[in-house]
Amino acid sequence: MRETRLWSWHLLVIPIIIVLLGLHFAIMHYAPVFYGVSVEEARNFETMIERGKSVSQLVLYILLLAAALYHGLYGLRGIIRELPMTPALGKIVDITVICVGLFIFAFGTYVTWWTFSYPVGG
Amino acid sequence: MNSKKSTAYNNRLGIKGWVYAGKYTFERYLYLAHRLTGMGLIAYMLLHILETANRMRGVVAWEGLMGLFALPLFKMIEYALFAAAVFHALNGVRLLMTELGFFLGRPKEPVYPYSSSIKRHRPLTYIIMALASLIIILGGSSLFFP
Ligand code: HEM
Ligand code: HEM
Ligand code: HEM
Repeated sequence: MRETRLWSWHLLVIPIIIVLLGLHFAIMHYAPVFYGVSVEEARNFETMIERGKSVSQLVLYILLLAAALYHGLYGLRGIIRELPMTPALGKIVDITVICVGLFIFAFGTYVTWWTFSYPVGG
Repeated sequence: MNSKKSTAYNNRLGIKGWVYAGKYTFERYLYLAHRLTGMGLIAYMLLHILETANRMRGVVAWEGLMGLFALPLFKMIEYALFAAAVFHALNGVRLLMTELGFFLGRPKEPVYPYSSSIKRHRPLTYIIMALASLIIILGGSSLFFP
């Protein structure tokens, strides 16, 4: 039951990834089409901070962070756990993957928050 | 090899089990590519979050990094990443349809000439892969010839 649930989430987050990663690519590579700024400008420090100040950016990036990390790390765990290993070693793999995921999620959230709360004009 | 109680599924082939298959069909290559692109994407994403955190070190650090990424080498890497993401996403949609049972056709009696669900699914597989190739080529043109 537990494995079924974990795998279902692996699939359920996919629509989120498709939409948000699509948006991310649009912002980065099709900035002239969608935002009227050049691709170089889209990656400027000021432009990035400007973008990061909107609440929707804050929420969507954290959502993408969570969804893509879960999907990717669950996939990686599956790949590793196909190898022959004792249950104890399997447990260690699981715990390591969870720790990496939580750390990167916390760090990424902090960075996104940092951008969101960057002092205007500073 | 060790026959002691191990995990539920004992892959005695080890890493070879990742790539071993009696017969390499089209879908088998797609599986390998899906796995490789999946691992590439998660590796990239972990680095990406550490890398974009450089913004916290200020304008100079950030612009320096972006200047580096403007080099042709990084353009190539970025294109490879784009291609990997497009392939993984579209092939992933195919996997979703397969796993959830869409477009597999009705089960049939195994009477010669055999028709497996994989074979019945294959025209769709070709269409999806053609679409992925098209997007990858078009995406490339906008990256290299802005
Ligand atoms: C863009 C939309 C995406 C779609 C539609 C998608 C779809 C899928 C599907 C259907 C699977 C196989 C699930 C299964 O059969 O159990 C899968 C596996 C995987 N995905 Fe994705 N994915 C996407 C994005 C990503 C991203 C962004 C990452 C990395 C951060 C990623 C990493 C992986 C990994 C590592 C696997 C495991 C591969 C394996 O077991 O061989 N995927 N994906
Ligand atoms: C070549 C393609 C890519 C470029 C140029 C790019 C660029 C960037 C930039 C400049 C940021 C900083 C935020 C902003 O400017 O709005 C960012 C953040 C982010 N990107 Fe990407 N990115 C790319 C691909 C990807 C991929 C493939 C993924 C997911 C697998 C991803 C996931 C994220 C996430 C989750 C954040 C937020 C980071 C955080 O919360 O600290 N990006 N990206
Ligand atoms: C001599 C006995 C059997 C052999 C050699 C055999 C072989 C296989 C093979 C090669 C697959 C494909 C595996 C895959 O795609 O990963 C499969 C899938 C399946 N088998 Fe069997 N099988 C046997 C008996 C059974 C029995 C008795 C049942 C049910 C009562 C069953 C139910 C299934 C199901 C539901 C699937 C689909 C699993 C999936 O979609 O991932 N099989 N079998």
